[in-house]
Amino acid sequence: MSRAVITGVGVVSAFGVGAPAFFGGLAEGRGAVGPIRAFDARTFPTQVAGEVPPVAPPVLRERLGSLDTGAGLLDSLGASGALRDRKLVFGLLAAEEAWRSARCGPEEQEAALSVALGLEQAFLEDFGPLFDEGRIQWTREPEAPLPSVRFRARLDLAAEALRELLGLRGGTTVHVSACAAGGLAVAHAAALIERGEASVVLCGATDSMVNPLGIGGMSRLGAPSPRNTPDACRPFDRRRDGLVVGEGAAMFVVESEERARRRGVRALARILGWGRTQDAYRVTAPRPDGASARRAMERALRHAGLSPEAVGYINAHGTGTPLNDPAEVKAIRGALGAHAERVTVSSIKGAVGHLMAASGAIELAASLLAFERDLLPGTANLLERDPECDLDIIGPTPRPARVDVVLSNSFGFGGQNVTVALGRVT
Amino acid sequence: MMGRTSRVAIVGVGAVSAFGLGWRGLGGTVVEGKPLRSTSHALAVTHPGIEAAQVPALAPAQDAGDGRQRKLMSRGARLAAVVMREALRDARWSEGREEVGAFLGVGASGGAMEELTAMLQAGITACNPLFAFQLMNNFTLCHGAILEGVGGPNGAFFSRGGGTVRALREAVATVSTGECERALAGGSDSALHPVTWAELGREGFAARGLVPGEGAGLLALSSRPEDTALAWLERCEVLPVEGLSRVLAGSHGQVDTVLTAAWGPGIAGELESTVARLGVPVSDTVTLLGEALAASPALAWAVAVDLLAQGRAHRVLVLSLGVDGELGLVELAGAQR
Repeated sequence: MSRAVITGVGVVSAFGVGAPAFFGGLAEGRGAVGPIRAFDARTFPTQVAGEVPPVAPPVLRERLGSLDTGAGLLDSLGASGALRDRKLVFGLLAAEEAWRSARCGPEEQEAALSVALGLEQAFLEDFGPLFDEGRIQWTREPEAPLPSVRFRARLDLAAEALRELLGLRGGTTVHVSACAAGGLAVAHAAALIERGEASVVLCGATDSMVNPLGIGGMSRLGAPSPRNTPDACRPFDRRRDGLVVGEGAAMFVVESEERARRRGVRALARILGWGRTQDAYRVTAPRPDGASARRAMERALRHAGLSPEAVGYINAHGTGTPLNDPAEVKAIRGALGAHAERVTVSSIKGAVGHLMAASGAIELAASLLAFERDLLPGTANLLERDPECDLDIIGPTPRPARVDVVLSNSFGFGGQNVTVALGRVT
Repeated sequence: MMGRTSRVAIVGVGAVSAFGLGWRGLGGTVVEGKPLRSTSHALAVTHPGIEAAQVPALAPAQDAGDGRQRKLMSRGARLAAVVMREALRDARWSEGREEVGAFLGVGASGGAMEELTAMLQAGITACNPLFAFQLMNNFTLCHGAILEGVGGPNGAFFSRGGGTVRALREAVATVSTGECERALAGGSDSALHPVTWAELGREGFAARGLVPGEGAGLLALSSRPEDTALAWLERCEVLPVEGLSRVLAGSHGQVDTVLTAAWGPGIAGELESTVARLGVPVSDTVTLLGEALAASPALAWAVAVDLLAQGRAHRVLVLSLGVDGELGLVELAGAQR
């Protein structure tokens, strides 16, 4: 069986474009949540987000133009209106960085693609010109003077664009498992390597709900914190009252350890195992006892052949919602037993927001800090730990520590759970 | 590629299509039957007069969940929940469902048009707060899992055809590697959503003869010796179309029936002429069942299992070619061989 390793990473986050900006922000214990600028949110209940700073067109063109296909792809996506879909832009930028950082070339174009994408971007404004007499007049659709992408961008458009940008020839899998999708995409990539179905995979996730429908829909659900302040999301804190929507992307190059060694590329981490479960509980809430999340962690450890005592750090799903955090603590206690008292836990969602489909991927990227800098990310805005969340949870300041095994948890709306185990490359 | 040695048993099936709920008899319907078409109810307001292969109204006892639960479901989610119950029942998996896996190809978001209309008329606060659960396409899997207590390894794969075959591959790998012993795999979708139909129209599929359909199909896969096999899954691949010749060369002399699930009559004809060299009967399932996008390959697998279970075929090759242009290849063998 081939062991999968991560050899390249690219990140787009509220800290800006690029993994250095992301790692730098986390290492300094900063937060990047702020007022929404992508659209006028003054009439919305939710007015803050972990929004990616604007990417100037020349910067986008310069970054992607380093690839043979970049300029042409940008032209065609721009002409079709597809670049209005923010997650598409984020995904392309993160993929380019991951590809470059793994020193990929023509040989790696055999790569498969395993990518998690959020919902189709729908543009409420596109429906407006068709709306008359209390309904949508569909017959006007072909003639209406609208931007080229209408109603919704085809979901796999971003996957197609990634393939075209990098000239990938392997199969494409698009994961749509809500907030668990990013972790599932990386786990799937590792599975393809382990099963010998691929020797290299570009994987990860990109998402943005920082648009009127996304922010409005989440507000209607009551998921975001009602505070409209940069410290609105407070994972594991007694005063926590909801999440903050984030956006961005994290992409990885994953390949077999032998392949990485053969081409002389440094591995950033091993993907040791993963576990997937489904709550099968309620549409609107996670299991309060954390039983299914616990099983996901147990499965990941079993797959990795590890005992609970091997785990040094858990990058928690840690949404900052009243229901998630105590359930996750119960899950950790259940999975690790007595070792739960000694393991270190944190969540980065207070700093960059909840990236939805991309959250699992960006949190795996954050977990690389543990191996790259011997530093565990902090939990922004955690000032008064909830007594129900009685683990060693890092506060806002990152903690220097050397750990060899990290678990990253992601739990999705609808009850989908995934835990990915990463290991230090020694 | 899934090797011929890693066979997985198919021990149950769930299907709902234009021919109603159930998979037994679908094989005969497809091989001998006539298309069942009617004017689409779901498109009546937005695109009147569209001929479609639509799932008939289900009796309350056949439908998914209760009225309140159904309000949270897209059409695809509702059909998936129905067939999840049916596949579990067919496989007689009443115990240990928390360890049963589920892997589904799912289609695009499917929010109710009345909610969208309310939003356009009066702003976002006018729509049902739980509208998001209709929109999130992973709920095509999750509603059924929640209703039926299916709690094992799982994944939802976006599909316009190929993703559903990938869902089956993942399920097979999950069962073969021991991540779980039992898993459901298939797809659910409806092309009869106004936005979906408008997008298919804009991409030119409607003009090229695509007949919109809807449905859901699930196979129950098992590595447990105590589960009784209806058929065996021998092979499951997603290929570029140009890989078809190589595949056909490998299948020669073993396959006695070919089913295609191709999105339109032209493409079905092309596939049919390509596989003619096998010299075996070829039938197209989409011609009968309509193009149900993420569900089409899975419905064809259900048809194949029926042909095998009836003894009308011993080895069936299912070739699916969805609107994404990906070729899915699934080979199934009868349990009696």
